[in-house]
Amino acid sequence: MKKVLSILMIVGAMFMAKGEGIVLKKVSGDVHVRHGVAEVWTKIAVGDVLKPDDTMKTGEKGLALLVVNGGKRISLPPEVIVDVSDIRDLTQEELMLKLTMEKVRASSYQWKNDEMNVPNAKIVHGADRTPTQPLTENQLEIGRFEWNGTKVLYDNGYYSTSALKAMDVLRRYPPLGEKFENRLLIAQALERANLRGEALSEYVALSQSEKLTGEQHDLVKSRVNQLRKQAGR
Amino acid sequence: MVRILGYILILGVSVVELKTYSQSLFSSRAMGIGAYAPLVNDTRSFTENPAGIVHIRDWDLSIGTYIPAIRGSQGFVFQGVGLGKKILDDLAVAIQYSQGSAMEFGLPIAFSLEAVPVSVGKRINYDEPFAAAIGYRLSNRVSVGLSGRITRQKITDVQYQYDTLSLRFRQLPDNVSEVNVTSIDVGVQWKPFDVLSLSVVRRGLARFENGSFPDDLESYKLSNRRFLDLGASVRLRTNITMSAQYSTAQTGSLGVEWLSGNDFALRTGVYMNNDGSPFVSAVGAGVGWGYKFFSVDIAYLKFTSQKDRQGTSLVEQFDPSSITSIDLNRYTSDRVQFSLKVVFGNVRTSLVTIGGVEILEGVYPSAYEAFATRPIGRVRVKNISDQPIDVRARFYVEKYMDSPTESQPVYMLPGEEKELPLTAIFNEKVKGVEQMMVREGNVYVSATPAEEYDDKYAARVVIHGKHDWDGSVYSLRYFVTPEDPSILRYTRDVLLQHKDSLGNVSAGLEDFQKARVLFNAFAGKLVYVSDPKQSADYVQYPSETLQLQGGDCDDMTTCFSSLLNSVGISTAFVDVVPPEDSSKSHVYLLFDTGLDPRFGNSISPNAKRYITRKNQKGIETIWIPIETTVMTRGFEAAWSQGAQEYFDDVEIGLGLIKGWVKIVDVY
Repeated sequence: MKKVLSILMIVGAMFMAKGEGIVLKKVSGDVHVRHGVAEVWTKIAVGDVLKPDDTMKTGEKGLALLVVNGGKRISLPPEVIVDVSDIRDLTQEELMLKLTMEKVRASSYQWKNDEMNVPNAKIVHGADRTPTQPLTENQLEIGRFEWNGTKVLYDNGYYSTSALKAMDVLRRYPPLGEKFENRLLIAQALERANLRGEALSEYVALSQSEKLTGEQHDLVKSRVNQLRKQAGR
Repeated sequence: MVRILGYILILGVSVVELKTYSQSLFSSRAMGIGAYAPLVNDTRSFTENPAGIVHIRDWDLSIGTYIPAIRGSQGFVFQGVGLGKKILDDLAVAIQYSQGSAMEFGLPIAFSLEAVPVSVGKRINYDEPFAAAIGYRLSNRVSVGLSGRITRQKITDVQYQYDTLSLRFRQLPDNVSEVNVTSIDVGVQWKPFDVLSLSVVRRGLARFENGSFPDDLESYKLSNRRFLDLGASVRLRTNITMSAQYSTAQTGSLGVEWLSGNDFALRTGVYMNNDGSPFVSAVGAGVGWGYKFFSVDIAYLKFTSQKDRQGTSLVEQFDPSSITSIDLNRYTSDRVQFSLKVVFGNVRTSLVTIGGVEILEGVYPSAYEAFATRPIGRVRVKNISDQPIDVRARFYVEKYMDSPTESQPVYMLPGEEKELPLTAIFNEKVKGVEQMMVREGNVYVSATPAEEYDDKYAARVVIHGKHDWDGSVYSLRYFVTPEDPSILRYTRDVLLQHKDSLGNVSAGLEDFQKARVLFNAFAGKLVYVSDPKQSADYVQYPSETLQLQGGDCDDMTTCFSSLLNSVGISTAFVDVVPPEDSSKSHVYLLFDTGLDPRFGNSISPNAKRYITRKNQKGIETIWIPIETTVMTRGFEAAWSQGAQEYFDDVEIGLGLIKGWVKIVDVY
């Protein structure tokens, strides 16, 4: 009887694993996972079910294959960092709200004009000493890994999360934004996510860059014209 | 025996000379509108409807003057003065002296005697110098009034006698015949609805005659007909009133008055007559302006036919019996009218009433300052006067307010209703309220001009205990007291103790390290305890949390927020109300490291441990989530826990965009 129950539990677990969540199907080379807000990477094995707050990382020669909800397969090439929480589709409304919060401090309560803003913290502090150690910027290598993860999202059709992730990465690794392809990816992701107005803004901003080659300029211009035509402007 | 010589040769005398000084319409407002009986509300032309004087507020003085627009006009003519007084709440009296309310006719008889032209004739004077009225308010909507007018009619017959001895004419003393008539009118004003006013005036209800005319002069007597005036005024919009009046004497009028802001008024009216003259007999137009205790009005009256109105008329058409009123008749001339009204005295009637008071929320001592601008309630008021007014509302809670707070004045047209916000500036005593209580909050409304108030309402105000919290994360910030001396002292002491370690911190990480040091010092001193009331609506002030060395999640969060704010580190509350179970709502803290996101790895290689958001200056910086309920485990644990919660709630659960997570800045 116990054996039957054990078999049923294993089969059930397999079904669950197959039907829901993201499962690591194949691993090759250096592949790690980081759970939640932990700071350390740990080894991961084939068959492990990833949690929504996990982050995957492949090393220089690492490869991984993920299976999403028992169907869609996502290949992680080498040198990729991707958040499992980004492997999902956001609705257009959710994406728009997220973008709005990117632009304005929408998450904060805006005090009404007729309400007194009680200044509870009035103390002004000046620099009281000379700092001893200057900070160094984030390692661009890690930023590149994260950007590669963004491209994985885009290539697998997760346009909303790839657009948001790309903006987040560029915010933390500004030098990556100097590459035309990277900025183009944001515009394309927004366009693919059917946020044409936002995409148009990105293309227009990109077109104003002085560093574009003629070919890049033509590409952006054609997209701007196309989107304006669609918008009836 | 004096007698007119019968043999004087009459040479074809045919003209009547007129001197029509005035009418008793010495209100320009009345003249401009025409149909005034339903609109009488003071001493101006109160004889139009004596019931209207019940609206007098205390003393009411009106003065009228005019310029006749006829040939040979001598300029301004003083017309009269009216004085009214409210003597009881519902009773008012008024008197009127109208010196200029007079008409004089001359009937010359010209003949030639011994080739020398001689003119003799009659002088006929009508005047109405005195009027008085008493008005009584039966209810808020109905008032009645009684007025008496003294009309003097005087015929002066110039006579000569032929002296047969001297064969000359000599002038005899004038033969004067005089009749004084006291007419009693009764009027009613009824407002069945706020926008409608009806009036009925019975003219000549009673007449008392003193004196008589000889039979041959009887035809010069004014009409003694009794007739009825019916009137109605309708307020079409809040600032437009239309008025109509019909008299059984076959006259009528129609007028409109438009009130703009700033107590400015425009009026116009038409007068109609069915006595054979043009149906529209006259057109009136006027303007008025009032300011506090006085108002000035100007009107122009233009008759459509000038026949008999220029000072002369044919004798055979002279018919005084057709004059039913000295107010308006076929001999009245065009004119420009000026009138001034002054209100004075101490007793005043209400111009505005309170329809209701709504107290929107209780007073939380922690947030009492907010009510200085955020309304604590609102009062619904109504302009019950017939004039535009400026209305103010005052609110006062005894003991907990030093003086009443007053709202901005709101301009209101007659009959208009509005809601006024009530604000409250509480004093420091409110912070000493230990337990929830109910106090009376007095609401006063007053209209300009006002000395005290027009209406009063006592509302119930709930004043919560100083530790009470309404559960809103927006209100929680009022418990953050970075300027509290005990907070300042504590943070300075802690930072001084860690002076050396803080001195070696990299540039840009100072705030992060300060927060870490403060947190660990704070955590080492405190223990987590539940609310004494086992509820989420009790919050300690940070100084109390430090003193008691413990508190719950809200207490810890506000206290640590105060500590960070006191050293210049911005904070924000994260309020989580899980949609699946709102009873598990929770608050934790974010603090601003001031660090650019480019340096995020200096804090942690895992970007999930921090949040990039804009600070007060609109600059994106790195913020750290802190879960204060696990503070006894130290900064790292509280940070990890806070970051994990934030990531789960905001990034995975999308709580921020779905509205069940709120971030409220504390500043």
